Amino acid sequence: MRDAADVLANVRRGMLPAHIYNDAEVFEAEKERLFSRAWMFVAHESELPQVGDYVVRRVMDNSFIVSRDQAGEIHAMFNMCLHRGMQVCRAEQGNASHFRCPYHGWSYKNDGRIVGMPFHKEAYGGEEGFARKGQRLLPAPSLGIYNGLIFVSMDPDAEPLEDFLGDFKFYLDYYTKQSASGVEIRGPQRWRVKANWKIGAENFAGDMYHTPQTHTSVVEIGLFREPKAEKRKDGNTYWAGKGGGTTYKLPPGTFEEKMNYVGYPDEMVERMKEQWSQEQIDVIGRDGFMISAASVFPNISLVHNWPKVAEGDDVLPFISIRQWQPISADETEVLSWFVVDKEAPEEFKKLSYKAYLMCFGSSGMFEQDDVENWVSLTNTAGGSMARRLLLNGRMGMLHDDSPVVQPLTEDEFCGPGVAHVGYGEYNQRHLLNEWADYLEKPAPVPANIHVGAPQVDGECSSETAAQCSSEKAEA
Amino acid sequence: MSTYIPIDSASSPLGQAASTTTAVGASLAFDDQRHLTAHRWLVDESYLLDQQDYDAWLDTLAEDIHYFMPIRVTTALGTGYDTAKDMAHFDEDKYSLSRRVARFDTGHAWAEDPPSRLRHHLSNVRTFATENENELVVESAVLLFRSRGDVLEPSLLSVGRVDLLRLEDGAWRLARRHIAADESVLRMQNLAVFL
Repeated sequence: MRDAADVLANVRRGMLPAHIYNDAEVFEAEKERLFSRAWMFVAHESELPQVGDYVVRRVMDNSFIVSRDQAGEIHAMFNMCLHRGMQVCRAEQGNASHFRCPYHGWSYKNDGRIVGMPFHKEAYGGEEGFARKGQRLLPAPSLGIYNGLIFVSMDPDAEPLEDFLGDFKFYLDYYTKQSASGVEIRGPQRWRVKANWKIGAENFAGDMYHTPQTHTSVVEIGLFREPKAEKRKDGNTYWAGKGGGTTYKLPPGTFEEKMNYVGYPDEMVERMKEQWSQEQIDVIGRDGFMISAASVFPNISLVHNWPKVAEGDDVLPFISIRQWQPISADETEVLSWFVVDKEAPEEFKKLSYKAYLMCFGSSGMFEQDDVENWVSLTNTAGGSMARRLLLNGRMGMLHDDSPVVQPLTEDEFCGPGVAHVGYGEYNQRHLLNEWADYLEKPAPVPANIHVGAPQVDGECSSETAAQCSSEKAEA
Repeated sequence: MSTYIPIDSASSPLGQAASTTTAVGASLAFDDQRHLTAHRWLVDESYLLDQQDYDAWLDTLAEDIHYFMPIRVTTALGTGYDTAKDMAHFDEDKYSLSRRVARFDTGHAWAEDPPSRLRHHLSNVRTFATENENELVVESAVLLFRSRGDVLEPSLLSVGRVDLLRLEDGAWRLARRHIAADESVLRMQNLAVFL
């Protein structure tokens, strides 16, 4: 990446080289240094309710089969046959006990273990020539699960997922743990936009400032009662661990009244009270802040809103999780899921689904206008003028880097991390600072993995240590 | 063998109240008056959609319309489904469609201001009788061409539609539309359009 040191230094002081939103070299650096290491969302356990269920998802340009094996365990396996490299599974989802490669017929159990090689004896000389034992579709280098959310890291030495998420787990629970049963997620809607992946992540992380302008129309048609400018700036943005988000300030009332205000029925509120810590309840009940949009570094976002879905004044909340899957410097595949508490009443699930479709996703009325902006921005960022331009991403900071408004104290906001009321680009800066930290570190150099390499003097010297030891253990 | 898996309103969480009228028999002859009526209706509708005359379009929709475009997924042959469970791109009733139209009328719907240049290329129309004299099932293919601005490549959306048209007070209205997207990943930046 050209002038890397300058780019990162500028980003860290809140001055954003405009070309980072459409620059092939920057994208290569992101692939090499960021997406090779950070935890990436691939699926939710509720997408695999039965033994044998699987979905095929990508981590960048790597295809993984995410499956639930016969014992109920979750696996993520690189979708490449160990023989000639054919994609073993070409469906996007289904239920299977085995995957058989269509090329030469090697087959694998749904936990990845190889079980069938046609003419194993005649072609390879049997176990003497190719030991099947211990061979399996390559597992994802690292796999982690939180609240049923399945993440993969391409770095075998990745820190544990929960350490990576850090204090953002506190906020993730609002979206994904509203009862003991957790959530079910449906979808994803998938579509491609000619926009850089960072823009969506930054927007959901902290851009309360765009709501009154970009989303004027949805207020005017009575879909949403909240995003009027004066309302939005009363909310806060918070950053904790690897994520941050935005909130709305709700009218005074108890926790229960506030949850009712955004449309949750009493029975759901009771279950939330059982699940959430006193601090999680107090953020809403005592401090009066309701979570809305958020992002987890690098490329997933969440949203919680409460529109009207029929004539009348009633509102109904919905939750979405989405991934900004990078395709190139100027293209992103959006995968957007609807999220709902498993124990929610059927009628609630139905109307919450309707609320989601009206607001977000491929046809959502909020999202339509967002994408228009992001595509336009990306397009403009690709030119040579953009290379000269340092955009001002310093909202909320004075020239001496002191904040325009002081962060909320523990008495005002009991959630972890740092929170500021009003408009500011604190969270976008947090996100981009993480980005800069990753881009600064050299790429990890994972060991090569040899498929059934010839053994020298009984040593499996050419195998990776892990595979070798597991083979020995099984032998 | 057939790879065709029909879309059913009953598979939608919001489709329970939709009409269940189905086609009866083979497609009608192309010189059958009912086919000519249905075909003309679809052509007229295509012009309304191209011109984004959505208020007029809304008037052609029945009050009980179910406008449903599930997500297509890639599944192995014989899996028995090729749409995502309980999730869609559009799963609309008259109210939600009317909100979408009202939004375009605000003057602040940036997704379509400046407006796209749209062309709904309509073909493969065939009409079926139903058990009810006042209802027809009409199938069609639509290739939507959408061009915005002067830099981006235009985008295309290919879909198959199965519609239920109903004669109400002397006018044919759309009472149900099932839209089969021909892509699992849409190559269109948003669905600020109708199909």
